[in-house]
Amino acid sequence: MRKWLLLIAFMSLSVPAHAHKVIASAWLDGSDIEGEVGLSNGEMAKDGTLVEVFDDQDNKLGETKITTDGLFRFTPTKPVTHHFTANLGAGHMASVIVSRDELPDNLQSPKQTPTTSAPQQMAPSSPSVQSSDLKHMIAKVVRQEVQPLRKEIASYKEKNDLQSILGGIGYILGLTGVVFYIAARRKENKNT
Amino acid sequence: MHIVDGALSNEVVIAGGILAVGGIAMGLRKMDMEKIPAAGMMSATFFVASLIHVPIGPSSVHLIMNGLAGLILGWTAFPALFVGLLLQALFFGYGGVTTLGVNTFAIAFPAVVMHYICRNGIQHSNKKVAMAWGALAGGASIALTALVVTLALALTGEAFLPAAKLVVLAHTPVMLVEGFLCACAVGLIHRVKPELFNTFFKAKQVQHA
Repeated sequence: MRKWLLLIAFMSLSVPAHAHKVIASAWLDGSDIEGEVGLSNGEMAKDGTLVEVFDDQDNKLGETKITTDGLFRFTPTKPVTHHFTANLGAGHMASVIVSRDELPDNLQSPKQTPTTSAPQQMAPSSPSVQSSDLKHMIAKVVRQEVQPLRKEIASYKEKNDLQSILGGIGYILGLTGVVFYIAARRKENKNT
Repeated sequence: MHIVDGALSNEVVIAGGILAVGGIAMGLRKMDMEKIPAAGMMSATFFVASLIHVPIGPSSVHLIMNGLAGLILGWTAFPALFVGLLLQALFFGYGGVTTLGVNTFAIAFPAVVMHYICRNGIQHSNKKVAMAWGALAGGASIALTALVVTLALALTGEAFLPAAKLVVLAHTPVMLVEGFLCACAVGLIHRVKPELFNTFFKAKQVQHA
């Protein structure tokens, strides 16, 4: 029996401690908002999961569905903060917030248009179009390159390090002490 | 097993909170000097055991050890498990602070139920019989916890039957492992320190009298 217990102990030690938490993120892709929803153990949200979009006042702006690999896509039409929520079932809720200033340029307030048009006036028109295309391409490539890194960071954040666990045990010991103190006081009061 | 913030409707959260507070009050009233170290131990056991996630099939599961906590602590399992859950919510973000009540109830209530069902069984003079009762307590408390969690989700609007099937199915391996561990623990206590179960019952009887 002891052998079995040891085996189980080793089995549980050898696997990384994964939390079953929801990870969600969103970014811009052209004039759309693209996002990703999954669980921290690397499992992505199922195809067809409903993603609802709300603004700051909880008014529904629209909804979209998760396609392959836990990705979803939404075209913003209003220059407001977007809250994306998805219910993955079994008590897992995902939510991402895309704030107003992250939205595509064409939805930004008109104040910003002069700053973007200023360099265009100085440079010849055809390179500027190319440069904006180039920008999109670079942004896309960088996003693809960074994707695995983001996942790694997300799973790293989920890691339970030994220190927090020991800290938790310490708290429990301390609380036990406090309860002992109260119990002792109570007993003393009864005796006197 | 931990329900996160925002997954439940307000009514369910409030009801869970009230039930949990009632249970904790009951547990604190029944906590006497001899029970305090055991409560601390079980709280720490729960805290660590449910941090170790074992991937099985498509999802990952973790031990809860609420059956053993119930056997040893009875009503005191409520405050003990509450402390464990609170620390997990604060340190690791498991579950949430608002759903703490529901989670506490879902984990501690089955512990108390199994305590009353199995308390005579685990004191049986035959070690094998006592271990069988321990295994029952370990396994059944997980099943009950799964049911309470599903019920909480169902009250919020998720379809009950398919979700319940899924949750119970996912926890079958945990039920087996937990039943096994609980039986081992009962066997060990039976051999090394049989009075661990006895003292508390005697103390309780004195309180009642």
